[in-house]
Amino acid sequence: MISRAVLCPSPPLLARELTGRDPAVPGLRATCTAAVAWLLEPKPQRVIVVGPAPATDDWDPAGRLDLSAFAPALDHGGKPGLPLSLGLGAMLLDQAGYTGNRVLQAVGEGEPAGQCAQLGAALAAAGEPAAMLVLGDGSARRSVAAPGHLDERAVPFDDEVVRAVRDGDLPALAALDPGLARELMVTGRPAWQVLCGALGPRRPVTEVLYTGAPFGVAYLVARIDPGGRVASSAQRRFSPR
Amino acid sequence: MDDRAQAAPGRPPGETQGRTQGRTQAPLRLGRTEFAPGRLLVMAIVNRTPDSFYRPGLTWDEGAALERVHTVVAEGADIIDIGGVPAKPGTEVHVDEEIQRTVPFVAAVRAAHPDVIISVDTWRNEVGRAVCEAGADLLNDSWSGWDPKLAEVAAEYGAGLVCSHTGGQAPRTRPFRVSYTDLMADILDRTLELAARALQAGVDPSRILIDPAHDFGKNTWHSLEVSRRLGEMTATGWPVLISVSNKDFVGETLGAGIEDRLPGTLAVTSVAAWLGARVFRAHNIVQTRQALDMVAAIRGDLQPARTVRGLA
Repeated sequence: MISRAVLCPSPPLLARELTGRDPAVPGLRATCTAAVAWLLEPKPQRVIVVGPAPATDDWDPAGRLDLSAFAPALDHGGKPGLPLSLGLGAMLLDQAGYTGNRVLQAVGEGEPAGQCAQLGAALAAAGEPAAMLVLGDGSARRSVAAPGHLDERAVPFDDEVVRAVRDGDLPALAALDPGLARELMVTGRPAWQVLCGALGPRRPVTEVLYTGAPFGVAYLVARIDPGGRVASSAQRRFSPR
Repeated sequence: MDDRAQAAPGRPPGETQGRTQGRTQAPLRLGRTEFAPGRLLVMAIVNRTPDSFYRPGLTWDEGAALERVHTVVAEGADIIDIGGVPAKPGTEVHVDEEIQRTVPFVAAVRAAHPDVIISVDTWRNEVGRAVCEAGADLLNDSWSGWDPKLAEVAAEYGAGLVCSHTGGQAPRTRPFRVSYTDLMADILDRTLELAARALQAGVDPSRILIDPAHDFGKNTWHSLEVSRRLGEMTATGWPVLISVSNKDFVGETLGAGIEDRLPGTLAVTSVAAWLGARVFRAHNIVQTRQALDMVAAIRGDLQPARTVRGLA
């Protein structure tokens, strides 16, 4: 069973060490921090981190993001290096002070939607209630300056993802087309579909905390409460970066 | 590494040889500030002369000179180097005239910028004394200890001292058929000897710099040689200052007129920084600061300003 879930983006620049003297995305980082704090509020007995990677696999919970892969002058950290998305998830948990059980689940970038859903269901069913931290991004082809240059289909695709998350419309997320997502350089698709499988048929209450694409890649931060209302007193952050 | 450099006198007390080429070890103190090794300092030239070689008369007027100081401080200069006498031969500038050109201006800069490091380019002890009274922090002796009493003045006022090499040329003379059997040995011998004398006179060891003095008593081949072998100077452990901005050796090397020497200047600046020089006397502050920041970032001593390329 999943008690709470959070969606966070997974760009390397989420790691403060990688953006030089300028924080570059302070608002985005702060929003992720707030979302993860909310995720951990009920003191879950385990946290499942789900993120895209070349292949579906579960990773050593002691693993961490290897910053030296992105900036060779930085310290390797001396721990097993994780795929980017899981590494950022581990980083967010560390920053929140979480030391409990963690499952680091990579889901293959090309994993079919059905497989993703099955994986999610299995994760939710195994063991005690868990919080789920889901990493991944929308299209990296939203503008001519974007990493993947402009694809006119990118913005509508991302808009539909945001709408589905905002409405708690899991069937719409589960139905995202893996082929189109791949063409649009959407990394989040398999991880979002794992979440759909983990939450099952319920319509969750959600709150989108951040949407933006400051560098042409769609970032999304959202809180997902499978069973009830999301506290309205919670902080909202809509800063552009 | 040059054996002579290892055995030479005047090494900073307690300092060991460099860990790696391009690194210096001892902190450098100027004014009230201590600069860590790895910090690259820009020394901005503000000449109170009507006839210096680069843009003559630019800051002859005191108002224009003070305006220039405000500008270079805003552009990232760490040190202001004030000169009252051009290096080249020309109309004699007597001691009184040099004092008149520099002292009130040092006082004005000190009043306007309490924390900026003020250097004065002079070889004369009388001028050194007067500018230290007015608030100067560093005596930039481009003429290689021509007046031995300058070091005593630096000691008396707690000021810094630049120990340079000119091959024995008198102040304001041009090289005429100069030759060296061993240029680097001559440079190291002279600068380390002056550093040792400064120490003996009581100058704070953390305030002594050495400078090969490009173009001074040197033809272009000599200046290129010392540029290539600057690591032998930085390996002594003394902080190295270089003064190469828009100089003739850059012009001769590139066939570039006085207004077209900035790229060459920045190339020498970058190579020298890589080899461990720490203070860079310059006319073009923004560009010099950027070149040095780039080198510092490559070395890993400075974080890039903002990195998002490929990381979004």
